[in-house]
Amino acid sequence: MELPILPTSVIGSYPKPRWLLRQYKLYELGKISEEDFKEAVRDASIAVLREHERARIDIPWDGEMGRSEMTEYFTAKIHGFRFYGPIRVWGNFYFNKASAVSKLEYREPLVLDEFRFVQSVTTKEIVKVPITGPYTLADWSFNEYYDTKEDFAMDLAKILNKEFKLLEEEGAKFIQIDEPAILNHPDEVEWAVDVVNRAVKGLKIKVSMHVCYSNYYLLADYFDDLKVTQFALEFANRNFRDMDFLKKLTYQELGFGVVDVHNPRIESPEEVARAIRKVFKYIEPERLYINPDCGLKLLSRDIAYRKLVNMVKGVEIVRKELEREEKTSIPFRTLRDI
Amino acid sequence: MRIIPALIGSLPRPLGLAKKIELYNIGRLSEEKLEEKYREYTRRAFEKLREAGVKVVTDGMYRWDDIFNPLIRYIDGVEVNGLFKFYENNFFYRSPVIKDEVSLLDNPIPKWVNIAKEILEEVYPEATLKAVLPGPVTLAYHSLNEYYESLEALARDYAERVLAPLIKELEVEIVELQEPALASELSRATREDEVHISKEIARVVIEELGKLRKLWVVTYFGTPQVVPKGVILNVDLVEGSLPEGVSGEVGLGVINARETKMERTDRIRDRLLKLSGNFSRIYVTPNTLLDFLPESVAWRKLRLLGRLGGE
Repeated sequence: MELPILPTSVIGSYPKPRWLLRQYKLYELGKISEEDFKEAVRDASIAVLREHERARIDIPWDGEMGRSEMTEYFTAKIHGFRFYGPIRVWGNFYFNKASAVSKLEYREPLVLDEFRFVQSVTTKEIVKVPITGPYTLADWSFNEYYDTKEDFAMDLAKILNKEFKLLEEEGAKFIQIDEPAILNHPDEVEWAVDVVNRAVKGLKIKVSMHVCYSNYYLLADYFDDLKVTQFALEFANRNFRDMDFLKKLTYQELGFGVVDVHNPRIESPEEVARAIRKVFKYIEPERLYINPDCGLKLLSRDIAYRKLVNMVKGVEIVRKELEREEKTSIPFRTLRDI
Repeated sequence: MRIIPALIGSLPRPLGLAKKIELYNIGRLSEEKLEEKYREYTRRAFEKLREAGVKVVTDGMYRWDDIFNPLIRYIDGVEVNGLFKFYENNFFYRSPVIKDEVSLLDNPIPKWVNIAKEILEEVYPEATLKAVLPGPVTLAYHSLNEYYESLEALARDYAERVLAPLIKELEVEIVELQEPALASELSRATREDEVHISKEIARVVIEELGKLRKLWVVTYFGTPQVVPKGVILNVDLVEGSLPEGVSGEVGLGVINARETKMERTDRIRDRLLKLSGNFSRIYVTPNTLLDFLPESVAWRKLRLLGRLGGE
């Protein structure tokens, strides 16, 4: 399978339409049925998927319309967690941090229905299924049950592995493991790498790992040990400074973050093109995917859309330059190829 | 020997207050109404601290997004940058970028402290209020320094040109300095950084500030590597241990503010008993900011902390 050179994608979340947020509230209050709520989520998924496609994103997703939050959604479905209430992440943004209170068990698929639906309504050949990784789920939860955090994370890895295999059987081609916390505790990274590798054990499809707002020099020490096809990293937030760690990324791909998700200013296509040319110093175009820094959910929907449109326009500027070198497409690489 | 329950730093910002701040940020709530809400929630916090038996309190830092903001918005020479992880937590702060020599600008912090003091006097007059500020060493470590020749020079200027004038304006007996950097060097989780502040300089800049007001220096996420004299040092006993050279009054972080599992009071009491001979007074505290816990659990832990108080 071939993709245009510098394939464009998203990281995952996207601003939920206001009307959907109202449905969330009404559902929470028991004022609409589960059936009506699910219909609203499906309609929003189609709307966002179309929005990504109108922005000419090559590998879209539905913006996680059915997920309340990136850890809570999963911990609520895995048996053995309980919730005590939200905690603040920054400013006035909160999430419901779960506590593991008994042995964790996989009792139901986590995102299978979501994938099936998106796959059935997209016009694109490939979609990217983002799933919060086992280390981050453990790190962003409280632990009242396991003797060690490693045991806790490893159980989560085994649970996620079951889900990944189901997705692969159902035809998913591209999974993204979101591990924004994997570098939080430098002395745990070594076993965290084993945990991620356990989660992807036996898979043959494409697997990206997304890490953001972290010290990438620490991650770079483990590039070769992580059994993933791609690293999707954030660069716009740090103004494309200090990218020397990329010298260690010798065979996997880079998902290059060119859109700042915490700033409403819309990057111009020329800025995006400049950033891409800058990263060519480290990674050849054949190993580059282009994406925003992170999920776009904290922006307004209009701004998020315009950022994606300009991101793709910036990519198209560089694609034209690469065309002169006869570089127009790349093969879709999977875990079989690395 | 007395054991006194005390709060350090922040309380979890209540969700209801956060919603009001957001409404204000998008222009749908007036400044006056927001101010009313700040006062209402501060009053409620003091009432709950009284019920819990916590004798030394802060205002819960409800007006602060993190330990640096909004102070850094009132410093000349500083720009406010993107988000960074606060140590190893899923909690982010906006970092100061140093573009020029730093100096304190007009700011509302003394007024906020006075408002909290007035409310405390009405609600819980027997309690002691501390004003909370980031310490110079931690501020310097969390800054992106594009101006000073060294981090030490920046720490000195933060102390002399920002914190000293501010401390002089604060009408409280005790100023709490948040100084996790004394115990936990900026983690590699945040960024690669090989620039350091010597222990001696760190000690001296804090001791100089201690000449202006009684200081309560709060350290966490490790064992303090610097022991300034003439201050109340708060030590995280959950993730660190007592360093040598601490005597007199001490703050001991005995309640884990990063886990929901409740502590056993008998075990904490046993631990305190072993330490009691070494100090004239022990303040028992959470080991770090309570922002890392859900509000309901934070208050349950504060009530537990209150039960530890006594002779």
